[in-house]
Amino acid sequence: MSERSATPRRARLELLVRHDEEGGAGFEVRQIGSGVAFIQSRPQRVAEDSFELAEVASRVDGQCSFILKNTATDRFLLLSEPEKFLWEKMDGRTSLQQIATAYVLRYGQFDFDIVPHLIRKLQRAQLLTMTPTSRLRQALARHRGRQVAKIAESALFALERINVSSRNVQSAFDGLYRWGGFLLFTRTAVLACVVLAVVGLAAGVRLWPEADRVVAGFGKNPLIAVVSVKLLFLLTVGAHQLVHGLALVHYGRRVREFGFTFLHGFVPTFYVDVTDIFMGSRKARVVTAVSGTLVHLVLGSAWLVVALYAPLGSFLQAFAAASGMIQWQAFVVALYPFCFIEMDGYHVLVDLLGLPTLKHDAIAFAGSLLRGRRLRRFTRQEALFAAYVVVSTVSVAAFIAFNVWLIVHAS
Amino acid sequence: MGSSADTLVFLRSVRLFRTIEGPELGILADSLRERPLKRGQVLLREGDTGDEMFLVRAGSLVISKGVTGRVEQVLARVGPGDFFGEMALFDRSPRSATIQADSDAMLLVLDRAALTKLTEVSPRAAAAFFESLVLIFIERLRASGDLVAEVTRWGLEATGLDVESR
Repeated sequence: MSERSATPRRARLELLVRHDEEGGAGFEVRQIGSGVAFIQSRPQRVAEDSFELAEVASRVDGQCSFILKNTATDRFLLLSEPEKFLWEKMDGRTSLQQIATAYVLRYGQFDFDIVPHLIRKLQRAQLLTMTPTSRLRQALARHRGRQVAKIAESALFALERINVSSRNVQSAFDGLYRWGGFLLFTRTAVLACVVLAVVGLAAGVRLWPEADRVVAGFGKNPLIAVVSVKLLFLLTVGAHQLVHGLALVHYGRRVREFGFTFLHGFVPTFYVDVTDIFMGSRKARVVTAVSGTLVHLVLGSAWLVVALYAPLGSFLQAFAAASGMIQWQAFVVALYPFCFIEMDGYHVLVDLLGLPTLKHDAIAFAGSLLRGRRLRRFTRQEALFAAYVVVSTVSVAAFIAFNVWLIVHAS
Repeated sequence: MGSSADTLVFLRSVRLFRTIEGPELGILADSLRERPLKRGQVLLREGDTGDEMFLVRAGSLVISKGVTGRVEQVLARVGPGDFFGEMALFDRSPRSATIQADSDAMLLVLDRAALTKLTEVSPRAAAAFFESLVLIFIERLRASGDLVAEVTRWGLEATGLDVESR
């Protein structure tokens, strides 16, 4: 029998995953620790009509508690305010990892026992079910009979397996910071960034009237040129993530992982694990979020200056102008919080609002309105949700329209 | 391809055949045939029929059982000197698991006819063979129990289910 110790190792499952449905030759073996499965699980509370929640204010210390009742079994639970916060996040779509992040953003600290303790309590009272996989993958799996769903699932599966990363990067980031990275977090760097942004913007404004002649520099293959600009841009996403990592070092936090993968199975991207910054101050979180995006501002401005001084109508000018445009676009998109994408600006916004699941809650609220929920006067939070959905929808439409116009114009 | 003498030397190092005397082992070695496998190649699938057992001479293989869709649970990994597929050799029931090569591998195949021949020629050697087989079965049975316990523990840890205080 295996040895017993004070803290027994977590159990691991070894699973063989085939590369195709027909059980062909290709396969890979994955080891999945129970801890990983636990933090990726999505606890789901029972249906709305199966429980009741009542607030109980203490007359002694003024603290609020909550009584949660399972109406099917008549079992009662006493929840603290933080436990009620966690309970409300358990909607079957939010993973335990996301719930823990939301908790940190709300309370500024984390008690590692509170989530498993609450889950045990809720399970005992039969108030919880667990859903372990993503909804997209569940939907694709349900429709495997259809060729398109099968192809999409296979493609996502193949791309998801591409992940080049390292969890042993702290010393590399420490070295990078010591050998010059620290300069990025000085007042001089901020000033230089502002000056460069103004100069870049001025260069862009001066180039704008000549836009037709500038893009003519791409010659007969504008689309190929645009694709090559995009590929070059992908590399700068790596620099963006590096700067996020340097910001962590600046604030004395740990960079847990750096790598390259396909986000959601289809968006190629570099990434850095910055979760340790949640243990830092709000200022540290904001600086970490914003610093990476400044890479695009600096590069975008530099490219536009190059375009301004390059020979009019040359390939160099067209390439530099397009690169400058895409970098500025990336800067704006990364910092702009209203686009349904949880990028840097969104994280700053939810941090400032104290609403870590803003997007998710706003979409759910909009969905309930579309399903015919009775209209009444919005609460302040509901008004915020509605505003988020409206502004984001308009922004995304405008962004798509602008890019279509840009491509059509360039062609 | 290894020669018959090489095969004999190899069989002497295998726990399953260690108690069989030289001449009888020679008879057994002559009746084995080689089966190469490329990395990733599936040797047999769960549900297939067959009456052969396999001895791993080189390389490694993964034994798995279907769970859902393309996902299978790894039951065991086998390497040089290990054997598998013996259940179908005795009860002729469908294969209980899928076997695939984790690296380029070379197997030795023992079929029912070869085992019958060994039993007829040397009942003493056959008895030694079956005794070793039973001892290894007992070990595997214990390992299966450990695997069930590990999977159960995984399920409890992954879901946070607290059964102690129910």
